[in-house]
Amino acid sequence: MIENARSINIAASVILAIGIVYILGPLYLALTTASHSYQETLQNGLTWLPGDDLADNIRRLWVETRIPQQMANSLIVALGNAALTCVLSFLTAYALVWFRIRWASVVFALILATIMLPLDIRVITTYQVAANILSPVNALLDLTGLNSLISRFFGAPVQLELSILDTHIGLIVPLVAHGTGTFLFRQFFLTLPRDLFKAARMDGAGPLRFIWDILLPLSRTSVAALFVLTFLSGWTQYLWPLVGASTPEMQTAVVGLARLMPDNDGRMPDFPLMMAGAVIVSLIPLLMIALLQRFLVRGLVLTEK
Amino acid sequence: MNAIDPIHAEAQGIRLSGVTKSYDAKAVTIPPMDIEMRAGEFTVILGPSGCGKSTLLQMIAGLERVTGGTISIGGREVQDLEPKERGLAMVFQNYALYPHMTVAQNIGYSLRVAGIQRAERDARVKAVARMLGLADFLHRKPGQLSGGQRQRVAIGRAIIREPGVLLFDEPLSNLDAQLRQDMRLELAELHHRIGATSIFVTHDQVEAMTLADRILILNKGRVEQFDTPKTIYSRPASIFVAKFIGAPPMNILPVSGDGRALRFGNGKVFAASPLKGEFLLGIRPESIVLDRHGPIRAQLRHREDLGSHMILTAAFDLVDLRIALPFGSAEPQQSDLHLHFPRECLHLFDVEGRRIEADFHLEYAN
Ligand SMILES: Nc1ncnc2c1ncn2[C@@H]1O[C@H](COP(=O)(O)OP(=O)(O)OP(=O)(O)O)[C@@H](O)[C@H]1O
Ligand SMILES: [Mg+2]
Repeated sequence: MIENARSINIAASVILAIGIVYILGPLYLALTTASHSYQETLQNGLTWLPGDDLADNIRRLWVETRIPQQMANSLIVALGNAALTCVLSFLTAYALVWFRIRWASVVFALILATIMLPLDIRVITTYQVAANILSPVNALLDLTGLNSLISRFFGAPVQLELSILDTHIGLIVPLVAHGTGTFLFRQFFLTLPRDLFKAARMDGAGPLRFIWDILLPLSRTSVAALFVLTFLSGWTQYLWPLVGASTPEMQTAVVGLARLMPDNDGRMPDFPLMMAGAVIVSLIPLLMIALLQRFLVRGLVLTEK
Repeated sequence: MNAIDPIHAEAQGIRLSGVTKSYDAKAVTIPPMDIEMRAGEFTVILGPSGCGKSTLLQMIAGLERVTGGTISIGGREVQDLEPKERGLAMVFQNYALYPHMTVAQNIGYSLRVAGIQRAERDARVKAVARMLGLADFLHRKPGQLSGGQRQRVAIGRAIIREPGVLLFDEPLSNLDAQLRQDMRLELAELHHRIGATSIFVTHDQVEAMTLADRILILNKGRVEQFDTPKTIYSRPASIFVAKFIGAPPMNILPVSGDGRALRFGNGKVFAASPLKGEFLLGIRPESIVLDRHGPIRAQLRHREDLGSHMILTAAFDLVDLRIALPFGSAEPQQSDLHLHFPRECLHLFDVEGRRIEADFHLEYAN
């Protein structure tokens, strides 16, 4: 049996090693490529040995492309996404768990449904709404017949218009409409003693004071974990920023990276520049994970000890 | 120490008039209830699980709205006020301490919310902690305390605001037997010392008997009896009360009267009596006397020795009689028991289970 266990161990280690090579190999290649000049790659293709043009490639990235500005956009979108998601899902879960609400289970089921309908699936309808966030109001006016009444008196029906395409808000808000955070907080709140809220009320604390003095300090790790997760997800979003922002000034870094690839003009793409971009753009989420990794683990196991 | 003294003067009476509660339209949890608790009194609410004890307590506390009726505390109607405006405090079953705060912060939280200065707060927290034997634990978190210590923190948190009324919802039920006994004594002493009107929910009859000035017995939201422990034991108002208080519970035997004699179900005459109709006769296990000349015969089936006393189970007239013998009394030698039911220990109930108070006339035939 012991021999058997050892051979399993060896097999597992081999599989693990292969996995690591598959994950780290491309990363390493990106790094080496980023350290050669364009001319070198034109001659030799991608190489496995590091060169000494990394600094130059990064400088070119900084002055010749819009990546810096797009990274600022990414930062705004990721931070906005993380902050808004945390606030919204914290408050939603608070209401769902600590108050007696009619239809609470229905509301929760609807929130859960959003997890099964990610933005990528809803991207066309989301685009339509973002192009005119008042279109639901228009539809309501049409449906209720109010608009035909209005057009009879004023000669024309009401058509309200407000587009949030190409704005930071427009990039953030559709990402926030997502139930994962609510689910996370709800599960955490359910592990707390039910009488905590009553005890706080007896002590004279109102619902807001309860959040501030008791619930928030207790949920610190959960909030941090959700913040990191939504920040990462906001930073790495591709489809929605691609659709929701059409000008290079508003695009995010991930979209900008893809745009570094020249459209089919037969030229060899500037791989060193792209790889330098990829390395720089990955640095922020890496930093985030390195700094807040312990919250990630603790917050996701949901128990505070 | 002195921080706690003023409560004595401020204990307040509580009056419930026509208070009802329904959580939903279908079921009534508490039908209209009228009760009054005197200032400084220690009331224990006792009843089986789900009878509405916590509901009643939380309505008094202001954590649940009343569906109808009025509650007044110290002569002031409070049913529409927030808990903090009612001048009362509560101790919860699972302590409900704030896990991230130290003992001192837990005890002093209500003062912090009330905006009381740090210096005064600290002084009062210290006084309360000293009184409860918590002075050495002020900087610990609840997670680092034993069950008994946690319970004391919960009590400290309740009494620091010097409330006129203290509410307890099964505060001892999470403790082990020994600790429970100690805390019971401590609570009795505490009540004696601070004198706040106290309402204590439990389903432990020993707690009820030992702590209460008066016991309120609830059955499905209705008041079965509200009286002193002594009266509840000696003159239970219903079979429900009779069986709920006392361990093992009171023996209940069906009897019928024809105007001349009361007979057991097996037709044997029990006593001469002018009563007519069906009745239920009650006698406590500890009241039954083993007596060689006793008129009642039963077959011994089982004996349990509990050390302090022995419980015999005997078959009589299709029911099992329980008989409790004090330590040291002579044990029966054969299975044929001769029993005597002392006249003054008998309880008579009608078929609905209500006590027949009238001095019913019974005469044993000799
Ligand atoms: N929030 C609620 N919503 C609906 N029904 C409730 C609610 N709380 C209690 N009830 C119902 O009201 C009745 C009384 O409950 P309550 O908690 O007052 O009982 P209890 O006497 O305290 O029981 P226990 O000894 O088990 O604590 C029960 O039937 C319970 O199901
Ligand atoms: Mg209860």
